[in-house]
Amino acid sequence: MKCRTIFKETIFTIGKMSSYFITALLCMFSAAVFAAKPHHITIALSNISEAISWYEEHLDCQAIPGRDDTVNCGNTEIEFFLGRTVGGSQGTGVDRIGFSVADLDAKMAELESVGVRGSGVRLVRFDDGALVREIPGLYKTAFITDPWGTKIELVQDEDLLGFHHIQLNSVDPSEALNFYSQVFGGERARLKGVLDGVTFDGIWVLASEYTDGRPGITQGRTIDHIGFEVASFDEVSMEMSRLGVEFRQEPAVPDNARSSSRQAFILGPDGVTISIVEPGWEGIEEELAAAEAQSTELYVIPRTPWGEPDIQGIWTADAAHGIPLQRGIDVAGTDELTPEEAAARRERGTLNSIWGYDREWRDTTLGYVTSAPSTQVAMVIDPPNGQLPETTAAYKELVANAPPRIPPQRARTPEDLGTYVRCITRGPVGMMMPSIYNNGLQILQSPGNVAIQKEMIHETRVISTEPREGFGDGLKTWLGDSHGRWEGDTLVVEVRNLNGRTSYLGSSPEMKLTQRFTRTGPNTLRYEFTVEDPAVWTEPWTGMFNFIKDDNQIELVEYACHEGNYGMTNTLSAARTIDAREAEESEYQE
Amino acid sequence: MLLKIKPTAIRLNLLLIALLAGASAISQEIGDFQPEAAWDGNPDINGIWQAIGTAHWDLQDHEASAGLPEMGAIGSVPPGQGVVVGGEIPYQDWALEKKQENWAGRPIADPETKCYLPGVPRATYLPYPFQILQGTDKIMIVYGFAEANRTIHMNVENPEAPPLDTWMGRSYGNWEGNTLVVEAQGFLGEAWFDRAGNFASSALRVTERYTPISPDALLYEATIEDPTVFTRPWQIRMPLYRRLEPNARVVEYKCVEFSEEILYGHLMKKEE
Repeated sequence: MKCRTIFKETIFTIGKMSSYFITALLCMFSAAVFAAKPHHITIALSNISEAISWYEEHLDCQAIPGRDDTVNCGNTEIEFFLGRTVGGSQGTGVDRIGFSVADLDAKMAELESVGVRGSGVRLVRFDDGALVREIPGLYKTAFITDPWGTKIELVQDEDLLGFHHIQLNSVDPSEALNFYSQVFGGERARLKGVLDGVTFDGIWVLASEYTDGRPGITQGRTIDHIGFEVASFDEVSMEMSRLGVEFRQEPAVPDNARSSSRQAFILGPDGVTISIVEPGWEGIEEELAAAEAQSTELYVIPRTPWGEPDIQGIWTADAAHGIPLQRGIDVAGTDELTPEEAAARRERGTLNSIWGYDREWRDTTLGYVTSAPSTQVAMVIDPPNGQLPETTAAYKELVANAPPRIPPQRARTPEDLGTYVRCITRGPVGMMMPSIYNNGLQILQSPGNVAIQKEMIHETRVISTEPREGFGDGLKTWLGDSHGRWEGDTLVVEVRNLNGRTSYLGSSPEMKLTQRFTRTGPNTLRYEFTVEDPAVWTEPWTGMFNFIKDDNQIELVEYACHEGNYGMTNTLSAARTIDAREAEESEYQE
Repeated sequence: MLLKIKPTAIRLNLLLIALLAGASAISQEIGDFQPEAAWDGNPDINGIWQAIGTAHWDLQDHEASAGLPEMGAIGSVPPGQGVVVGGEIPYQDWALEKKQENWAGRPIADPETKCYLPGVPRATYLPYPFQILQGTDKIMIVYGFAEANRTIHMNVENPEAPPLDTWMGRSYGNWEGNTLVVEAQGFLGEAWFDRAGNFASSALRVTERYTPISPDALLYEATIEDPTVFTRPWQIRMPLYRRLEPNARVVEYKCVEFSEEILYGHLMKKEE
């Protein structure tokens, strides 16, 4: 793009070609040169300390003393903040960030071996299965996704090692690059004489054409925004308003800023949120006190148009995954984990749960849950010590005399594998429990009825909230007959007529289950479950965890568990193969 | 000119006669009944409904036929009148052959035998009740068999294409007068329409119309389009009846365990 030529043309065609007009204005603006440069990339994720270690270890970034949420990656900083994201960076206005390494093959081998150990990095393979591709005339390139969903391009560009580029998605790449060049003073140029871009003191801003509608807005995704530093903020803001680029947020020193630098926000092309900071910017101290104060604000539960408490929506138990049922010895004196401890706990739990899955799936799964994990110490809230009550003598005897469990490789029939593996049910208590995946819960209400649909296995209960005749004694089912009522704003559900064919931690067919659902915030649904089973526990006990609103989905993805239960076929077939081999061996010995 | 006949029962009978005759007076007829309004002013179709008839055996006219011999008369197929408007399902040549293959392979080849999710429209006329719940911006239909379930997204402008194919598909709906019109697509293409092997592919698109015709009956019409299987769109029509028992419920029907012998019997180690 040649500014001068367009400016000349514009003088004659002004008013006809508005886009050229804007370009011309931008060109005029660039005359007022001021020093600006990419300064930071801001990434939202669930675990800051883990992220700092990860970027230090694998991308040669350096921790910055006194700033526990930022790493310096040579030419730019990466700021992390703890937050729930609605997905990775791919497909947004900032598709990915690029780092250059001296030996790309070695780097990918390193990441692959780490992936095997489950750090959560996801390696992207090209169509031919290769991890690295040489682009003639450019460099070697490879793609990974960090454990929290940020897409990263790794290149081998000896001329520029370390942080290398910001890759935009744009409906009009040329226009977008002009924007960055004109607003922030970078130079339009071709990287290696090939890729159209803008260069700022060694960092490139590149743009790919986005043809699938419009790119997603960055705010709320893992790369939440990108930051530029300007020498003189006052001058810039004046120039901005002249250009018609509006501030989304006027320049100001944010609350809890670590320095006296001011920060402003603008919205760039293609939904990219851009932060502009003055020299000396050191980020913002996480304000925990404010967050806590907010959560104790009085919340008024919305009502359905017909006047019942409205608990409808898609919810997820993802955040609760990792909370142990009972309080562990290590957290005896603790009421709540720190967010960092909670994130580490979930990661440990996730890795344990998915160890049997193949590597690629495992690596993807770690990055898939993006909501901040619950800091709850244990699910059991009653007894208050967080421990399940003492079991009865009769139960202890039952356990002592129980036949040994049949391992999967010995399974004779599906029944030996349990109702969960058979895609029948996890049972009335188990069905609500968080697990590694499929934690979705959809609630829909009609007057006098609440439907609760669970993603895992796919099970739906329709609960009447009006008194009604229940099932007779002769009809019992896996999930029972749910009798609901509103107690204030809480939906209380008593589950009767259970067939007793599933057990939760040894519960007997006589178990009674009472569930309580209370919306405690716009995005929080408190779920309590009380188990009464005098045959097993000497007193009732109650567990609790929260479901979090999940507005990313409009319905639960159908989990056709039984329809796709290849695991059942494979497990039984393996068991029969073992039988046959053993039979052959014993014949041979005879 | 609208027919003015007061007693519902008579009108329903007339309607059935009209249906079976394939008469065109139906749309005039259903325009006459004013259903109770739900909170939003649209017809209140909350409740438990069920199709009555033999469409689940065969959408088309069918004579009585033998079933599994060990089940005797209980296992036989009852005769029934078809629900296909005009009687014919306009299969392409290859698809007619495939349908006949399905027929020959039944009941083992039937996804219902395997307790698979029934798909649309089959879920509607399985011989079990289902419950309609009208929420604030969605309608949910909960079926008992295989715990099938549909969410109908109401009044969505520019609905997104179904992100992936599923057994029950993606449904978008809106009210046209007293009729709930639902567009369903995004199907896997493995479901059948009935126990006779009628089927469609993943290109299936079903436009359903639910219209109250009396306090206790809905007219169900489904237009079936699938250019890879049929030569033209075709339609089925049947009433759905309200279950009037005061304690009527959609009872959870987890059928997986009854399919396991068929699916995995050859891999089981039986006690001698």
